[in-house]
Amino acid sequence: MSLPRSNYDPRRVCLNPFPNLDFHLGKYRRTIGVYIAGGLFALAHWLFLDAAVLSSHYHPPPDAPYDSAPVHVTFVDWVPGILSALGFLVVNLIDKDRIKGEEAYADARAVWRARLFLFIGFALMAGGLAGSVTILVLKYVVPSYPERFTYYGYANVSQNIAIMLSAVTLWVAQSVPSDYEYSLSI
Amino acid sequence: MAAAVILLSFVLAVGFLLIILSCALWANWLPLLVALTFVLAPLPNAIFARCGSDDFSTDSEGSGPADLGRFITSMVVITGFAFPLILAHAEIIHPAACAMSIIGGGLVYGTILSYAAAFRHESDEF
Repeated sequence: MSLPRSNYDPRRVCLNPFPNLDFHLGKYRRTIGVYIAGGLFALAHWLFLDAAVLSSHYHPPPDAPYDSAPVHVTFVDWVPGILSALGFLVVNLIDKDRIKGEEAYADARAVWRARLFLFIGFALMAGGLAGSVTILVLKYVVPSYPERFTYYGYANVSQNIAIMLSAVTLWVAQSVPSDYEYSLSI
Repeated sequence: MAAAVILLSFVLAVGFLLIILSCALWANWLPLLVALTFVLAPLPNAIFARCGSDDFSTDSEGSGPADLGRFITSMVVITGFAFPLILAHAEIIHPAACAMSIIGGGLVYGTILSYAAAFRHESDEF
């Protein structure tokens, strides 16, 4: 499949650009987007910490002779969240103007390096999500634990999805052109 | 304006009363962290608000430090709501204590927000 090259914009980062969301929020669109992104990021980590606290405070039934929990949240469950948070940090530390390769930053090597780090950040986030699904399947679903234990795995997957959503929200909110820049570019 | 100050201080006292009651009634002082969280919530916004706005940019236009402040503020607010919920889910605190501390924290944070909104214009005129 060959794509038409005629209207290709070399400043574009993705082949399919992010949709230009217009919620009619006016000048507060960027502020609201940043607030939503921060809330999603905190929500992601509290979702997972909920599972960790539940696992740590698991009460066995009173007639059980010993600790009857078949599985606990261990360090393995923390790894995907750590990877996703690292990827979030890497993606958001990159200067957006440098990725676009505009005229002010004509150094081609800097653009190439910025895109490499962007790729590493997104790979970290995708790796975190894939790792959380792996843990859900291998640690919780395959041994067919009861539902209150598979919740640990689902919380882990939700954490990584929420971190990705937070990164996307922050990216879209910050790449909205402000009125000041818009009037300059005309 | 004096009536507004009295009303706000009354609401703030009710918020702290709810949080302290939610701790004292069940003799479990973990929900007190909610009060600390909501008191600290506006702090990053206040610190980073002065950064990034110069003479050529309007107030509504965002900058990196201002965005970081908003991000951390939003994180802290969500933390304040999520913390009692998680404690109640793990059966560490009573569900009623969870509800009381959330309502109290919301009242405290709402008081701080409305106080900042009500008295912002006077400092601008200066």
